Amino acid sequence: MLAEAVRSIGANISTTVAATMTVLIGMFLLGLFIALGTYVLSWSDHVKSELVVKVFFDRDVKPAQVEAVRVKLDSNQQVRKFELVTAEQGLEKIKKQRPELFGADGLPFNPLGPAYTITPIKAEYTEPIANSLKPMPAGVHRVTYGRKTAEKILSVAKVIESIFLIAVLVLLSASTILIANTIRLSIFARRREIEVMKLVGATNWFVRGPFMLEGLICGLGGSLLAVILLFVGKEAALPSILPRLDSGPNVNAMGFWAISLILLTVGLLLGAAGSGLTLRRFLRV
Amino acid sequence: MTVVQETTLATEAPALAQPETQDLQAAAARAMIVFDNVGKVYEPNVVALEGASFVIEKGEFVFLVGPSGSGKSTMVRLLLKELEPTSGRIVVGGRDLARLRRSKVPQLRRNIGCVFQDFKLLPNRTTAENVAYALKVQGEGGNAIRHKVPEVLGLVGLTHKVNSYPDELSGGEQQRVSIARAFVNHPPLLVCDEPTGNLDPDTSVGIMQLLYRINRSGTTVVMATHDREMVDKMRRRVIALEDGRIARDERRGGYASE
Repeated sequence: MLAEAVRSIGANISTTVAATMTVLIGMFLLGLFIALGTYVLSWSDHVKSELVVKVFFDRDVKPAQVEAVRVKLDSNQQVRKFELVTAEQGLEKIKKQRPELFGADGLPFNPLGPAYTITPIKAEYTEPIANSLKPMPAGVHRVTYGRKTAEKILSVAKVIESIFLIAVLVLLSASTILIANTIRLSIFARRREIEVMKLVGATNWFVRGPFMLEGLICGLGGSLLAVILLFVGKEAALPSILPRLDSGPNVNAMGFWAISLILLTVGLLLGAAGSGLTLRRFLRV
Repeated sequence: MTVVQETTLATEAPALAQPETQDLQAAAARAMIVFDNVGKVYEPNVVALEGASFVIEKGEFVFLVGPSGSGKSTMVRLLLKELEPTSGRIVVGGRDLARLRRSKVPQLRRNIGCVFQDFKLLPNRTTAENVAYALKVQGEGGNAIRHKVPEVLGLVGLTHKVNSYPDELSGGEQQRVSIARAFVNHPPLLVCDEPTGNLDPDTSVGIMQLLYRINRSGTTVVMATHDREMVDKMRRRVIALEDGRIARDERRGGYASE
């Protein structure tokens, strides 16, 4: 059967090339989109996770006042977790982040009070949580939640997510239709051949096998080429782009090999299923 | 493997065909082909065949004659279960086609050699590969193919064109390839739909001689044809169709009624 498929690829080289190129283009775009899309999604997740509410206490706050805020947060359904940052821990943090602010001999005293860092269950809850602490309880110096940033980030993330979803859907259906069409053309050109095969007494699977194998090989070839192209693109383009993207270490696109695997699988299935399904119509002889 | 093949290669002389006096049930079991009141109506209401009944015994050589559109090709396609009859019953080699499951159709076709007016060869395969395809379809191995293909190509006289592609062959040669393909399995039944329709008279004679030899080896041959001269010369059984009805069924007839 393999021999049949190979011979038929050789005999119909132009349609084979056309089908392979179609798969190549489709898979290349799909790969690009998966990479970009997952990167953007991961970025928006990362930014969202950084949305926290901070409650700063006065330097001379009484433990009972801190406890009162704790009780309040404990009963709030929108709070995932909160963490007490003592004055000393706060100072350490700042020292680590901005060492240039501190002289060699350090500060004469710690200007900070303790603080709560509150992580909401959803990024959208930052504002309600902040509002729930209004008016400010006794001993609280300030409540911040980066209002403007939060709003912007949330709306941008929403847009990005839906665009990504739509793009992937459009791309997938477009390449499916494109590939099915190419295969149909190649099969249409050979429907006489199929008719003869059936009249000689070939079973459906005997006819279908080589065609599907051919589709499989086209699909595999196309997606393999797409993976190679993507790899070359990644190696060539990413080093010059990455440093300009101001993202933390937590922001990552889906791994290249995972994307390759997806592309190969989709290409294979597309090729085999495409030719198998398209054949069905011509097998009724 | 199949009923048809078991009963196949009987080389005994054909029994006398007397369909009108025979009990159909008994005949169906022994005969090669039984048409029992078969009708075929194409959508929307073109009547291609109506009330066709006849029995063809094993080893017979039968001409189906009649003008274009009289139902000859419909009959051939019914035999191959390419079409389903609208009414009536068709039995081929003891098997009722109506009760034959779709998955068994390939087996039926492997037991019926087909020859067509337009040859229906696979254009991108050589002579030998075209013939070998019929064997491969049945899952025959390389050994059988190496053995049987040259043999049958010798029979049709194409040993020197083994590696030619169809478009390098003349019409007569292509038809010989298609006969070789139809006969390589030694099917019990050979069905020909105007095999000489595209050929000049001299070439046609060669093809007819070939079919005659195949018939002599015990294979039943059913041939739809326009070729008046050939039918008159051969003096074999003739079933004449007119507007989808059987107008005449003579044991040693001519193209036109006398």
